[in-house]
Formats: sequence, structure tokens, C-alpha cells
Amino acid sequence: MSELLRIKGLSKSFGRKPVLKDFDLTVESGRVYGLLGCNGEGKTTLARILMGVIPADGGDVFYKGQRITYGQSAYKRDFGYVPEDPFFYEDMTVRALLDFNGRFYPKWDRKRAAADLERFALDPKARIGTLSRGQKLKLGLAVALAAAPEFLILDDPTSGLDVPTRQDFLRDVIRELAASGTTVLFATHLVHELERIVERLLVLSGGRLILDEDFDKVKATHQASLEDIFVRLVAGA
Amino acid sequence: MFTTLYFKEWREKALIFTFELSILAVLLGAQFFLQQKKDIREGLIYAVLLLFFPFAALILGAAGFESENRQEAWAYLFSRPVSRVVVWLAKLAALASMFTVLWIIFLAAWAAFPAVRELASGPRVLLEYVAESGFPWWSVGLSAFLLIVAFSLSLLRARQFNLLFVALLLGLVFPAVAWGLIISKVGGFMAWLAPTKALRTLLISLVLMTLAFVGASLLTLVRSDHSQPRKQTRSFAGSLVLFLVLALGGTVATALFIPVPGDHYLSLVTSSGDNAIYATERGILTYDASSGRIRWLAKTRYPEYLLSSPANGRIAYSTLDIKGRRDITHEVWTVGMDGRDRRLAVGRGSPGPWDPARSNITGLMIRPDGRSIAFLTRAASSRSGGALPALWTVNVDGTGLEQRPLDALLADGTTENRWLFLTAWGRTANVLLILKRHSPQPGQSQFGLWAYDLDRRTLRKFEDGVLPASWRGSMSPREDLLAIKLSSGAGLGLPAKALAFIDLATMKRTAIVEGTDLVLSRVQWDPAGERLLFQVKRPAPEGRADYAIAIYSLAAGKVVAEESFAASEREAWMMWTAWMPDGRSILARDAESRSLKILDLALRETGRFDLPARIKEPGQPAVVGDQVLVVDGKTDSLWRLDLSTKRWKSIY
Repeated sequence: MSELLRIKGLSKSFGRKPVLKDFDLTVESGRVYGLLGCNGEGKTTLARILMGVIPADGGDVFYKGQRITYGQSAYKRDFGYVPEDPFFYEDMTVRALLDFNGRFYPKWDRKRAAADLERFALDPKARIGTLSRGQKLKLGLAVALAAAPEFLILDDPTSGLDVPTRQDFLRDVIRELAASGTTVLFATHLVHELERIVERLLVLSGGRLILDEDFDKVKATHQASLEDIFVRLVAGA
Repeated sequence: MFTTLYFKEWREKALIFTFELSILAVLLGAQFFLQQKKDIREGLIYAVLLLFFPFAALILGAAGFESENRQEAWAYLFSRPVSRVVVWLAKLAALASMFTVLWIIFLAAWAAFPAVRELASGPRVLLEYVAESGFPWWSVGLSAFLLIVAFSLSLLRARQFNLLFVALLLGLVFPAVAWGLIISKVGGFMAWLAPTKALRTLLISLVLMTLAFVGASLLTLVRSDHSQPRKQTRSFAGSLVLFLVLALGGTVATALFIPVPGDHYLSLVTSSGDNAIYATERGILTYDASSGRIRWLAKTRYPEYLLSSPANGRIAYSTLDIKGRRDITHEVWTVGMDGRDRRLAVGRGSPGPWDPARSNITGLMIRPDGRSIAFLTRAASSRSGGALPALWTVNVDGTGLEQRPLDALLADGTTENRWLFLTAWGRTANVLLILKRHSPQPGQSQFGLWAYDLDRRTLRKFEDGVLPASWRGSMSPREDLLAIKLSSGAGLGLPAKALAFIDLATMKRTAIVEGTDLVLSRVQWDPAGERLLFQVKRPAPEGRADYAIAIYSLAAGKVVAEESFAASEREAWMMWTAWMPDGRSILARDAESRSLKILDLALRETGRFDLPARIKEPGQPAVVGDQVLVVDGKTDSLWRLDLSTKRWKSIY
């Protein structure tokens, strides 16, 4: 598998509080990464830096070997992003948001978007402001998937979903994406979510990765549930 | 992507825009329903220009990033594959086009309805005088500035009310501070000493301040972290301060180094021997032909045009001493022709009866021996000539300041449209000739020449209908004869009925030209004071006129040479002449051929020098030594022609 993304020495602070410290990570294409971390450990910060929403204080990010800097936008055509808090333009309708996004992505799949709306039972005419948090998450997911990304960042999206959708989402969507060769970085603090889908496990603590290993190897080494492994690792760090 | 974002902004702000459009429609529509109530209509136009447009711009601008900040959608927008510069440009373009639509509607009403045009040209809040009727660009400028300020600030994640308030404050305070500086001593009292320059400077400062806000906003959006509002605000403030300092520097540099028409001037005062003296906006300079150098006789911040011819190696000039808008005093100075021994003769501290309140100096002359000065004053508030003028004399060291009575001259009771001019100061007799001009009706002038005997303190009328033959060359080089002409009853510069000269010792008049000929104001004594060069206009067949240059010889007592040179008055006015220093030839500027001609005493052409193409508007030539100086009125530059090498050079 080829290297898709490489992060080197990434750091970010908010005020005097460091969130990411000398963070290194290499992402290979076509794999599903699970990023575990407690609340406030920097998962959202990492996702936002990768999406160019906020600047890093230091370090480098390379996508397909090319260094990407804050303010660049072309690389984002290959990236999908479902944030933890899906803040859209509340006054837009669901269809208007899809149309709006469709102009930015060259590989935009209109049929896929329509199918996902149907699958998630979203009314295209509904104003986004009237949708529940779960519905907004589903809409965010539909937008991200319609863009046919090469790299999809899911920033704790399942915490707001109802159980059936969550199971459906995890079982079908992520497996489907993995099968199509899309690289997925699934950041969450809900440990058990990852067990069914993750290929490589990343554990973030104190601003650094304290674990970056294939999930099968982790399970074989520790002979415990993922939750126990996570607690033990974080406590040890 | 730009188009997508642009139309998204239009859809988002459509409600605000429709609301503003409706208010404008009501305010303009009221103009037609209230046709009989001009006061109300005027108030509504003022409301449109002073309140509606600034506030409409403010509200539109503040809405710039409102949806991203209110709905927390900024993270979503910035994660899309679109550059932040494009986001910023699309937002600004959408707001600017809404703003433009509002102004186009007003422009249409302004262009279509004279009543709106008349009222809109009225308010001049920034000016203290009524400018010409025109489109209210000041309101466009002010509201555009407010739009940019509010838009720039909308990037910051602050409450909408705070944002509007701060934008309004900054949007009004910055232009007000700029205008305050321009009108104050810091800005050189530009607003009332040079209003055209002041308005341009204000406009430039507004544009540069707008760019400062634009730059700070764009830089902040592109570089800063939108998730950290305080850090972002600090970043914006830092950039803004830096750009505002640059804007201030740019404004000052523009005001200092880029002139407006009339900002600079270079005016020949007099020339004799090796020296020519010029008045400039920076002071008085002299060119010395023997050294080939320019020397400043006086540098002064607020020079006046009043400057005497040199007398015994000294000149006198007046300046303004400005300490505030209502604290202005005229000063009289003298300085040696070598630029040394500069002395204040009259100023703020001069003893009584000198009254600074009546210190508006209107005429100035230095005595031929260079020891004392005579000057005329008029009350500072008078613009029509209605106030009583006063004659003063003072020694060059400031002692002996004395007001001389002018009762006899002023006894006719005329107060309006009356002006006095100092004309000549006799060398042998200590007599000051004063020209009185009275214009009872526009286009009519009555002249009278008066003689003030400074030793006997007596004033008597010399003759009515007489005025100096020209402003620069009337007095002979020996300062004993004064060339005069008889007024044709019109303006100072118009052809006169006859030419004569007065012997200042005996006050006897000798006629030179009389009859049907008219004399033009181009009269010059030769360096020895033995010949008089002048231009004359004669009736020609078929109602036309003939223009000629003529030389009168004192020794021969008649005109000894005459040559036609022009067939039209316009062409005649374009011809400038000057005696060469040896007194044996004459230099004439021929505008038609753009050349300088050398004429002998028979007025035959003996040589010719083409003017360089770089001299756009050649003025009167001055001959100093073996060099000719020509001012280019277009660029206010001074050119020198070396007659021996025949080379031109720009020297100032």
C-alpha cells in the first residue's frame, strides 16, 4: 500500500494549553484508521488542521508526497470531512446545500447524493435549521460521500446518531468505503465503535500518538477488549 | 466557485437588501408626493445622503461574515476546497454590487429629476464653503468606507451590535481625524489655504484607509485561526495598525510630493544684470548668471505674492505668520540679494499703531536706497475693497513704523470696489506714486495717479485716467522716469489710449504715442534707460488691426523703429519681448514658431533659437548676462539657454 498522508512534528496550542505536540503519523491508502482519544485530546484539532480549517503552530503535512500548507485548497477536493458538530448554513435547504457543495467537487456524484438522502430519510426541501442533530450528521455524511473522497475524516460522527443508523453506518458505509479503496480516519472516544471496522489503531494522549499499530496485532498482543487496552494505554501514558 | 459563493451571498443577504431598497424607494418616492414642501423634501434628501447610505452600507458590511459566525458555519465553509481569498472576494463583491445597485437607483433619480439634483448638491458637511453643484461623491465615498470598515470587522467573531457600533465609530472617526489633521496646523491649514489639495488629500487618505481595512481583513482571514476569536482580533488589530501607519505615510507622501494644479508656481518677479528673481510656493529664489547657480533669498512656509524689485541690493517681501485659523498676521521682511541679512520689518510684535487685525497687506515697495519700505494694508475681512485702506512706512530694521494719512485720496467717499496700488518711488524726490482704481460697474474702471510726498507728508492727485505703462517695466533703470499710459476706461491689462513718461523730479509728462493707436501693456526700458520698447495696435483696412513692436528713443524724441509682428490680438499677446543686457538687441518669443528671436535696434531678425519640445508652455523670457531664462508654465520648471553655446538646460 502506498503512503497517502504523512504528518511530521505537528503541534498546536490554544492559548497556553498545548493540544498537539510533535505529532507524527503516516497514513497508507485504502485502510481504515481508528483514532482513539479522550475528550479534549486533540482529535478534532487534528481533523481541522488536516482540513485547513485552522492553522498548525508547527510541523508539516504531506499529501501524496506534496507538502500542504494552510490556505491551500485544491487538495481538499480529495478529502471528505464529517465533523463532530455539523454546523451548516441553517437557512439553506437540504437540496440547496447539496447543489452548493456539488460545485466544489469535480467527482461529485449526484445520484449517490440522492440515494443517500433517501437512505437517511432526509427531505430535500427541508430547511437545515429544522433538522435534528442526527439528521444533520446524516446530511454531512451524504455530502462527504457524494464528493467521492480518497480520504475521509470522520470526527466522532456516530455519537449523535440513533442506534440503528449507527449500526447501519458502521456496518455498511465504512465497509463499503474500505472496499472501494477509500482511506478512512475515524476519530472517536467511543471505543467499542471501532472494534468492528478498524484496521489500524491510533491512540492519542497528551498531544502525541502513544499507539500506532495494526488492530489485529494489538488484540493479539494484549489479549483484552479494546476498551481495556485503551484504558491501560492511557493510564500508562 | 466564485460565482457559486457570490450568488450564495446574494441569496443570504437578499432580505437586508430588499429592506434597504424599500426604504430608499420610500425616501425617493416621497420627493414626488411632497412636491410643494421643499423643506421636507430637502430633509429627506439629506437623510438619504447623511443617514440612509452610510447606515445601509454599515448594515450590509456587517452582514459579511455574519452567517458563518452566527451559525458556526465557518468551519464547514473553510473545509470546502475553495480558497479563502475567493470566499472573501465573493462576499465583498456581492455586498459591493448591492451597494452599487442602491447608488445606481439614486443616480437615476438624480439624473432624471432636476429637483433631486438641486437638493442633493446642497449639503456640504465637510466643507465650510458651498462647492459647485454636482453629484454627492462625498456621500458615496463615506458610505463606501463604512461598508469596507464594517465588512472587515464582520470577520471578527463579535456580537452584531458591538460590531455595528465599532464600525460606525471607526468609520466616522477616521475620516474626521483625517479632515481634522488637514484643516489644522499639522496639515499646514491645507483645507483653507489649498482647498483643492485638501479634498484630494482627504480622498487619498480615505482610499488608503479603506485599503488598510481591506488588507487587515484579508490577511487575518487567510492567516489567522478563526477558532480563537481573541487571537484573531489581536491579529486583525496588529495588521490594521501597520496598514494604517502605511496609509498615513502614503497620504503624507502624496500631499508632499504629488502637486495639484496651482500647488507649485514659479513666477518671474524681475531681472537685471546677472540676476533674475522668481517667486515660488517655497519662497524667493534668484538665479545668478555669472555663477550659474540658484540661490534662495528666503524660504518661507506661507509665502505671499508681494515682492518688491531690488533696491540698493535688497528686496522686500511679505509672508504670512499663521498660528491658527483665526490667528494670522502678515509680515514684511527684507533680505540682501546675496541671501544674507534677513530682517523682519513688520510682524506680530511690531509697535502701535500697527494692528494685526488690519494687517492684510495689499501692496509693497522698497525705497530706491533700500533703507525703508512702504506698504498698503486693508482690513482682513474685506473682500470687495470696501474697507478703508492704509499706507504705512517703516525702516528695514523695523523702526519708524508710521501710518500715513490718505484722507485726500479717500475723500471722494467711494468705499466699494476701490483698490490702491503702489506704483513707483522716486529716487531724486522722495515721492511715492499711488494708483487708485475704482470700478463703479463690472467691466468699467476709473484710474487716478496720486503722488505722496513722504518728506512733506502731503498727498496730491497727479492725474486722472493715468496708470503705469506695465507692471514690471514702467520705472526707468535710473528710477527717474515712469512710463504711463492713458486708460481706455476698461481693465488694467487692456490696450490704453496713449503712452507717455513722467519725469519724477519735475512731474512733467512727455507723450510718446497718441491718436488712434492703442498701446499694449508690454512696455520696457532698455538697460541704459534711453529707449522704450513697446507694442502698439493700429486700425487696419476692413476693420482689422495691425500689431507692431516699436522703439522710442529719448535722445531722438520719437519712435525710431517699428515692425509689424502679428495680425491678431491673441497672437500679439503671445509675443513676449526683453532687452538684451547690452541694450543693442532685443529678445522676442515667437509663440507661432516656438522660437526665441534676436532682433537688432531696427527690429530685424538677426538670430533664432528653437525652444525645446520639453518646454510645454513657455512664459516670458528673462535675459541675464549671456543667458536666457524661460519658465515652463506647465511644469513650473526653469530653463536656461546659454547664448554662447546655444544649449538649453533645465535648472529648476
